[in-house]
Parts: sequence; structure tokens; C-alpha cells
Amino acid sequence: MSNWESKQTEFTESILAGNEQAAVALARTSLEEGATPVEFFENCISPSLQDIGKRFETLDIFLPEMVTAADTVEKVNEDVINPAVAESQAGESMSLGKVLLATVQGDLHDIGKNMVGLMLKVNGFEVVDLGTNVPPADIVARAEQEQVDIIGMSALLTTCLPYMKDVCDFLEGKNIRDKYPVIIGGAATHPEIAEEMGANTHGGSAAEGVEKCKMLLGKL
Amino acid sequence: MNNGMNYDLLLDALDKAENGPVLDEKEWDREVIGKNFRETLEKYDISMERDDPYITNDDALADRLYEAGMELAVKTGVYCIDTKRRMTWTREELESILSDMPDSVTLGTGDDTATVRRRRPEENSHVVIYGGPFGIPVSEELFIPFHEAYAREPLIEIFNLGTLLSTRGRKIRAGSPWEAVAAWQEKELAFEILERVGRPGMAMGCVEIATTEVGELAGTTLGGYRPTDAHKINFISEQKTAYHHLTEATHYAHVDAFSESYFNPMYGGYVGGAAGVALACVSGSIVMRACYQGTLNNIGPTHVHISASTHPEVLRALQLGLQALARNANFLTSPFIRPTTGPGTMEIFYETGALAVASAVAGCSYIDASQSAAGTHAGHASPLEVKFVAKLTHAVEGLSRADAAPIVAWMVDKYKDIQSEALTGKPFQELHDLETLDPTPEWNQMYLDAINEVNQEFGLNISG
Ligand code: B12
Repeated sequence: MSNWESKQTEFTESILAGNEQAAVALARTSLEEGATPVEFFENCISPSLQDIGKRFETLDIFLPEMVTAADTVEKVNEDVINPAVAESQAGESMSLGKVLLATVQGDLHDIGKNMVGLMLKVNGFEVVDLGTNVPPADIVARAEQEQVDIIGMSALLTTCLPYMKDVCDFLEGKNIRDKYPVIIGGAATHPEIAEEMGANTHGGSAAEGVEKCKMLLGKL
Repeated sequence: MNNGMNYDLLLDALDKAENGPVLDEKEWDREVIGKNFRETLEKYDISMERDDPYITNDDALADRLYEAGMELAVKTGVYCIDTKRRMTWTREELESILSDMPDSVTLGTGDDTATVRRRRPEENSHVVIYGGPFGIPVSEELFIPFHEAYAREPLIEIFNLGTLLSTRGRKIRAGSPWEAVAAWQEKELAFEILERVGRPGMAMGCVEIATTEVGELAGTTLGGYRPTDAHKINFISEQKTAYHHLTEATHYAHVDAFSESYFNPMYGGYVGGAAGVALACVSGSIVMRACYQGTLNNIGPTHVHISASTHPEVLRALQLGLQALARNANFLTSPFIRPTTGPGTMEIFYETGALAVASAVAGCSYIDASQSAAGTHAGHASPLEVKFVAKLTHAVEGLSRADAAPIVAWMVDKYKDIQSEALTGKPFQELHDLETLDPTPEWNQMYLDAINEVNQEFGLNISG
């Protein structure tokens, strides 16, 4: 496939504008022309999202455009990529893994957590976002229910750190600690705090969070 | 009557939170906020470009922004995240609420009162200094010396507090009895500090440790913080509230306490860029007054990547928002100064100074300084940056916007390229003698250098 470059530019513009129809059509045509879902992901979706991520870094675009782009890509995945993967029976899912995200009990700060969620999504993770002020028991229960691969927690307030530790303790108590790698982040956290409470790792920014999640799942 | 809250209006706001139309939070963020902001900016032809001057000198633009903000306040309202409902007010309701706002208020008691007054842009009148390490984490051991150094600074008229890192050797857990224990300890320490500096009646921003309503209820009760202090209450960005906040507003009505309501519109978030933030300053102030009837109005726009309110684009937006509010209603407004740099750097003087000058000539009533090093590094704050802000602010009271513009531009130029480096400086205990609380000679010299520099550059006559 030779014209990836122009396709990618067109794809970027479509998802930024939230033009689902155009984005879905472009993906469909590419597959009809012989591209595999993986090829489409690697040559179109992934570079487009990286491009958009960079534009957000420099604030040439703002959060609403990022959100629209991520939503539109989700629609493309649902309508075209996932069914094609299932059909090809390659057995390989396009998702890098499922990450549960929550701002812990007491804390209402959500901007950072939302940015992490977006960056994870645009980098190929599935995200289950439980919102803010989420009690530790709910985090553990939902992780089990959703069979997530990683638990990610955010706290900006020092007074909410004990609830993060609770999650690690509860997992331990239920003998399922090894099943769920735990990553924490937010302004009240740093790597030593992660270690102290028994989390697996810490992410200082959304970009670092993505890298660390890949590392946790051995995908780097 | 301290806060002068209208109880019927409060009950009406509580009703709205129960009975307004149900809405998904996502829809609120994207449609009600995102879309309406974009459309309103377009309709009123409000834009701000990266190479525009930092201080706008256009009354018609400020008034247009106010009108746009009022229209948006009516269109959007407030979202309650607990009831998932949208609270709305008609234009008549909002106008009546705003017309009842007093144009001045006196906080504190006895000899230690501070009167905050409505000011207009360029007005030659006193700007009250609300100083302290707002929200900055600090250990129990350092709490008293750290804060005492601020409280004894005579230029600070209302006193703000940092965040206790532990209480009686234990971890503080939000919403638990430990938050109540911490609130009471914070109150005891704060009163002790006021006694030590001989300013027992000075108003304080409180309850700082209140992550939830538990801390506020526990700290503002018999023998606790006083009604004459400034009790904090906020919006969740953008224009969202929760039972936690509405409970606090109700408590303030019952104990007749002054309150400081504040909100942090996100630059780069759902309101968009600088023009969106300017608009958010106006619409947020209007609906926040309707929702909480706060005494003071504090606006701390936040850059989505660096969290600072001093970023050049954010500063430009905030000063225009302040002008719009000051020209059109009795808001007693402050910028919330949150620099990226910390004490022990020269840049902190430029960062805090630029926003202080821009806000003073824009007509702010008081100045909240400073959440140094973006507020996240334990003990990284010093009263010297507040002293600098205070001296500079008083020196530019009455200056025209045109005359203030070069000062702001000069300062912004000195820090705009290093903000992403997060020069967090040094902690208090390395910059002050813990016995005398005086700044170290080196740190004091940096402060004097900063004063001398602005005196020389701009012909000011600020004493050290
Ligand atoms: C905006 C803001 C608010 C807004 C929040 C709006 C919202 N919708 O989120 C409002 C006004 C509601 C608010 C309220 C309060 N706040 Co506040 N707030 C801030 C501020 C200024 C910016 C936070 C922000 O959104 N930054 C931008 C985002 C993008 O950055 P971020 O969250 O750090 O996220 C990045 C990384 O940390 C990382 N990350 C974040 N989460 C995760 C999770 C994972 C898994 C990973 C890998 C990475 C990761 O990736 C993100 C993107 O790169 C900070 C100051 C600061 N410097 O952080 C104070 C701050 C966090 N707040 C503080 C305080 C004290 C409060 C209040 C208690 C104040 C009070 N007394 O009323 C209340 C508490 C309310 C509550 N119960 O939550 C303190 C906390 C001090 C402490 N250590 O405990 C701070 C540090 C400021 C201060 N010094 O006062 N606040």
C-alpha cells in the first residue's frame, strides 16, 4: 500500500473533526483494498493519534478535539477494525490491554486522570474509567468484574493516598495481588510513594503512564 | 450579619440541584460547556492571539466579554455531579442576585480587620493582600515556623494556610475522622500563630485541610474557625458542584460565615484557549455567586500541562476577565497566583509580579499569593515572594493599563521560556533561619535585586 501518507493525513483531519462517517469509510476502503487491520492500525490510526497527541502537547489543539478524535477512533475500531480482526481469526486482539482508571476516594480532581485515559486510548489500550471519588472496594470489585489487565489510580491530594494503599492491601487480602499490576499517578504521588504502598509503578505524566503500562504488560 | 446570605436563594439553589434536568457528565463537558463556549465566543467576536499584548486596553471588549459571560451563564448554569442534574437560573434571577452584592466587606475582627472593596480598572485604591502558602504541603513540625514567617509580614492582611501532611503523627484520610482531627489541629496551630504575631483578629483562609465537607464542618464550629474568617468553597472545573460543596454553603449560611469561592478554569480544557478562559472567568463568577453566594471571588485559571496561572496566555485571559468583572458588577475578585517556579529563584519574582501587576490595573479587589512551585512541593514557598507581590501591587495602584503593559511584558519575557522546566527552588527551611524566621542573606539579596531591577527599569520607587 503506497498511499499511506495521504490516507493518514485524511484520517487525522476526519477524526479531529469528529467525522465518523469519513473515518469509518476510509478504514473500510483500506481493508477492501487489501490492507490488514494491523497494517491499518500501524500506518494510519497510530501515527494520526501520535500527531494529535503532539498538537495537544503544544496546545495547538485543546482537550475537546482530543476527546473527539479518541471517540471517533473508538467508533472506527468498533465498526471496522474489531470485526475484521474477529473475522480473520488471527486471534490477536488489537487492544494492548484493558486498564481500569479511577481518581480515588475523597479526590475530585479529574483533569489529569482524563488525560491519562485519553492517551491510553489513543495508544491502543481499552480504558474503563470509573470517574472520581471512587472507594477502594469498588475499584477492586470492578477490576474483577471487568477482568482488567492493569489498575491505574490518580490522587492529587495527600489525604487521599491512604485509599490507594487500601486497594493494594485489598488485592493482597483477596490473594489476587499478582493478577493486577497497579500504576499510580497525580500530583500527590511520586515513585517512592508507589513503592511504599506496594504499587508496581508510578507515572509522572500521561505519556509516561502509557510507557509504564506497556512495560507492565511486557509490550515494550 | 456577616455573610449576608439570602437563605431563600440558597434553598432555591439546593432545589435546583434536586430538580433540574438530568444530564450525563460527558454531555455537560462537551456540549453544554464545550459547544456553548465556542459558539458564544464566535457570536461576540472575542478572540485572543498569542502575539496580542498581555494587557488589553479596550473597554468595549471587556464589556462585550461581560455580556457574553452573562449570556453563557444563563445558557449553561451549573452541573451537580451527585444528582447528575443541571442547575439553571434565568437572566432576571442572575441580575437580581448580582445587584444585591455588596461593594465592600470587612473581614477579621478588632485591630486586625481588612476591608476588601470593589475596584475599577486603573483605579487608584488599595488592593488587599491575601498572603500565605495556599495548599502547599507542610509537615507538622514545620507548620508553625513556616506560617509564622508569613503571619508576621505586615503587608499580609488576610492569611492563607498550607496543607498539613499528617495529623498527630498519623496519616490524614479524606472524609474520615482523621480529617476532623486534622481540621481541629490546623485550627489550633493557626490560632497559635496569630497569637504569636500579635494579630489575633486577622482573617484566615480556611479550613485548608478540608478535602471533603467533614473538615469544614469539624473546623467551623464552637471554638473553631470564626465566621469572620474566609471559608473556602469551590467549583469543580468546569462549573460543576457536588453535595460536598452545597453542604458547605449551607453551613456558611447557618454560622453566618464569610466565604471565599474559587474556581480554576482549565486553559486547554473544555473552555478552549485564552478567549475561552477569559469567558469562563466571567460566566463562572456569575453562576458561582448564584450557587454559593460567596463573599470573595477567587479565579485561578490553570494551564493543563503546567498547572500555572502565570503562563502568558493564561495571564492575558485572566486580566481581561478581571476587567470585565470589575467594570460591570460588585464582584470582590482576586487572581490566584500559581507560578511554576519556587522560592530561591529570581524567576518567582517575575512570575508572581507579572500577574500581580496585570491584575491590579485590571481592577482586582485583592490578591491571593502565592501557590509557589505550582503548589505540589512540600514547603517550597516563602513570604518573600508575597512581600514582593504586595510592594509591587501597591506601587502600581492607579497606574494606567498602557503604563503597566511594559512592566508585565518585561517580566513575562524573563520567565516565559523556562516555565516547562519547573524550577521548584528550595524549601522554606533552606531559605529561612528557623530560629529568627528571617530569610537567609542570599535569599533576601535576591529579593532586593528584584526590587532594584523594577525600580531602575520603570522609574518606580519601591523600598526594599
Ligand atoms: C485544578 C485544581 C483543582 C480543581 C480541580 C478541577 C478538576 N476538575 O479536576 C478544584 C478547584 C476543584 C480543586 C479543588 C481542591 N484542591 Co486542587 N488543584 C488544582 C491544581 C491547580 C491543578 C490540577 C490539575 O488538574 N493539573 C493539570 C493536570 C493535567 O495535571 P495532573 O493532575 O498532575 O496530571 C498529570 C500527571 O500527574 C499524571 N497523572 C495524573 N493522574 C495519573 C494517574 C495515573 C495512573 C498516571 C500514570 C499518571 C497520572 O498525568 C497527568 C497528565 O500529564 C492543583 C495544583 C497542581 N500543581 O497540581 C491543585 C491541588 C492538587 N489542589 C489542592 C487542594 C488542597 C485542593 C482542595 C483540598 C482545596 C480546598 N481546601 O478546598 C480542593 C479539594 C477538592 C477535592 N476533594 O478534590 C492541592 C493538593 C495539596 C496536597 N498535596 O494535598 C494542590 C496541589 C494545590 C495546592 N497546593 O493547594 N483543585
